[in-house]
Amino acid sequence: MIEQYTITNKYNFPQPNIDTALPQRFLEQSLNSLRQVQHQDLQLNHQTFPLLSVADQCPSSLQLKTEPIQLKPDRQETLVAAVDTSTIKIGETATGIIIAVRGAITWRQNHSYKYTRLGPFIFHITEDNKNAVFNTLEHAYFCTTYGSMHQSAPNMMQMPMRLASLLERWMQTMLAKTVGNGVILFDGSLTSGTIDTPTQRLREILSHARRNGSTVLAFSKATTLRANGILITEQLPNHEPPYLLETLGLHFKPPTTLLGDVYVARLNKANFAFRLDIDREASEEQRIGAVQKLLGNDLYKQSYPETLRLSHILCTFTANEVLAIKHFITRKHGIQIVNRPDMHRLLFGPFGSGEIYS
Amino acid sequence: MKLYKKEGNILQVISFPTESAEKGDYLLVEDQEAGKALIAQVIDVQFAAVPGVLEELLRTLPDGGEPLQGEDIDPMEIAPHITYIQDASLLICKIRATLENDTLSPSSSWLPSRSQSTIKKLSVPMLMKLAKIDGKLPIVLGGTKDSSLLTIDASAIDGTLNIITGKKGCGKSHLSKLLMVNLVGYKATVVVFDLNGEYTSLGMSNDGKRNMYYDKIHTLTPGQNFKVALEQLHLNTVMGILVNALHLPGTSAREFRRIWKMLKEKGKLNMQELGEEIRNLNCNQHVRDALASRFHSLANSGFFTDSPGEATLLDESLMKARDQGGAIVINLKNTSNIDRQIVVEYALGKLVDSLSNWKLKAVFLFAEEAHLYLRETYWDDIVTRMRHFGIFTTFITNQPDTIQENIYRQADNIFLFNFTNEHDLDVVSRAARVDAETVRSIAHDLPPHHCLTLGRVVSDFPIVARVRALDIKTMGETRLFFNNN
Repeated sequence: MIEQYTITNKYNFPQPNIDTALPQRFLEQSLNSLRQVQHQDLQLNHQTFPLLSVADQCPSSLQLKTEPIQLKPDRQETLVAAVDTSTIKIGETATGIIIAVRGAITWRQNHSYKYTRLGPFIFHITEDNKNAVFNTLEHAYFCTTYGSMHQSAPNMMQMPMRLASLLERWMQTMLAKTVGNGVILFDGSLTSGTIDTPTQRLREILSHARRNGSTVLAFSKATTLRANGILITEQLPNHEPPYLLETLGLHFKPPTTLLGDVYVARLNKANFAFRLDIDREASEEQRIGAVQKLLGNDLYKQSYPETLRLSHILCTFTANEVLAIKHFITRKHGIQIVNRPDMHRLLFGPFGSGEIYS
Repeated sequence: MKLYKKEGNILQVISFPTESAEKGDYLLVEDQEAGKALIAQVIDVQFAAVPGVLEELLRTLPDGGEPLQGEDIDPMEIAPHITYIQDASLLICKIRATLENDTLSPSSSWLPSRSQSTIKKLSVPMLMKLAKIDGKLPIVLGGTKDSSLLTIDASAIDGTLNIITGKKGCGKSHLSKLLMVNLVGYKATVVVFDLNGEYTSLGMSNDGKRNMYYDKIHTLTPGQNFKVALEQLHLNTVMGILVNALHLPGTSAREFRRIWKMLKEKGKLNMQELGEEIRNLNCNQHVRDALASRFHSLANSGFFTDSPGEATLLDESLMKARDQGGAIVINLKNTSNIDRQIVVEYALGKLVDSLSNWKLKAVFLFAEEAHLYLRETYWDDIVTRMRHFGIFTTFITNQPDTIQENIYRQADNIFLFNFTNEHDLDVVSRAARVDAETVRSIAHDLPPHHCLTLGRVVSDFPIVARVRALDIKTMGETRLFFNNN
């Protein structure tokens, strides 16, 4: 049974020892949690959780080099792979929330895109089971890495993002272990030491990638990093793209640690630029080489890699899927869906924008 | 199935893939609390506007246009549920009636409960039972989709104006033959204007042997076994032919009337004497020429004879048919346009004469492509005046726009086969007993030999049926150049 979660064997990736414990635990915990909610009423909720992102701290010392690093696409055939996860709250029960989590890996090989999606996993998270669910999943991850549980369970409203983050790190690990001499794209930054990204865990992922001759590039869709009070992605020199702008003097307060060097990447003439974190341990040549290989092997409309864009698109839950998940939990677990009035709407009419979850 | 919306007499019902419903099917929307149910017919099947479907489809198409290849590891098996939701359909239904205390009423003024109503398919037999579509004189039209028989009552065709229409080769003539032989079976008198000679073998079965109708089918071919002598004709009938078919002007018509009366008084009413009299007529040159040309048209038709022995009387055939039931097939194949009009004028005049004198009780008239032989003023005559005499007409055509709008408005029954052309469907949808949406939607998708029956015969519940086969020798097939024989 568990072999089916091996995401790489069908696509000629190298075959290291792949840890498949996490998805198995995801499924087990998912089913266990849903069993506890049978024949309860469900209050609908369509709010999507953005993945937990590290609150960018903005050290005043951050500077942006004005001289761009000119890039030239390297068309040497290189595997470009990306990973992203998504979570959504399906609704509330009397005792908790029902959420769904899904991850997607996309890669471009031989001029075509392929993907593997994992999930959705549906959880019923309550105050009673949140610790068990989270710790079991953490253990499934750590038992092979650290062998101990040292993460505290998050509060219930953070659980969707924490579970998605856990799945994302596992999928990133799988990519790092299996992609040889490629370019691995992460969504977000290489900032670690945060509640959902322990430094050691990210360090391990980057280390696996390096051992396999791959380089990790992390693209942030949005950043709050500023140099001289202006967002780093809005200080683009009048220079022909593609290019990178190097940053200097970026330091975070412990325990937050930056495992990558931060650049601003403008990959094509579209007037967009993104924060790009590149593994700090990689040599200058490897870093530039990885970005040039990305340019030579992937599409980058709007200056954003298509592989990463597809990963995001593929893991995002559509309204249709939310309906299907509701159908699933109603049919399989006897959860009745009820529409409780939205108090914001009820009290404020058109001025009530509904509950906002953060 | 779930009730989604009601606008006017249109219901919108959400149907899931496991609940198959197609155009033409009937649904019973039952509100138990209200003690009532709506009977609605599916007139269109659309995709339900499920939110997120567009995104779902779009994300499988990357920039290159090739579908994105990949693998979904779905351990909880959510994918079938996604497909289930994505393939949900929206049934657009027309409310046909309200069922309350086992009684049907055409009302759609009440609103069933959206949450409590149950929706299920209504089988045709059940519908026919509720609508009391039965009777003592059953005619099995064919089979419905749910393998039941669509049986109408012959008395629902009695006294009615019917239209059978559809595009070429879809089975119109076949249905008219089916109706005819069944009417003959119930001892009705049927007259057919057979434009292509395809009804002449109604008395023969497929294998060429005589069938049960053989003795009841009387085929009259003008100029061959169907001739008339002038002395058997009423002046009014002849005047009808001259004025309506041969367009004789009024002055000349008056002169002709005088000549006819004079010859009749002398006992010399025959073609030879008539021709002689016109030749020797001492009157205005133009009048004489007009009468001479009409006389030659009559003479050249071969339809008139001076030999009483040659004259097969329509009367005789009608009397036979009156006593035992029968069909008089007037074979208009190989007959010129003018001759066709002469024959039809004569036959209609004779029918009106026989009916007004109560020699006949009523006649079912089947007219194929009537615009080719029926003068315009007769259309109104047929649907109004002649109906009161007892001529109940069924028009058969593949060009619905050749039938006047007022005919559609007064049609009691319409047997509609497939039409692809929107214009044709628009024309048919003018019928009073038909709603345009039903016609446009259902008739557009009818397979060959399937007929949408509308009107009195089905108590205004449109029903689609595949017209059943008949063991009758086929004569209506198109002659082909590239065939094996």
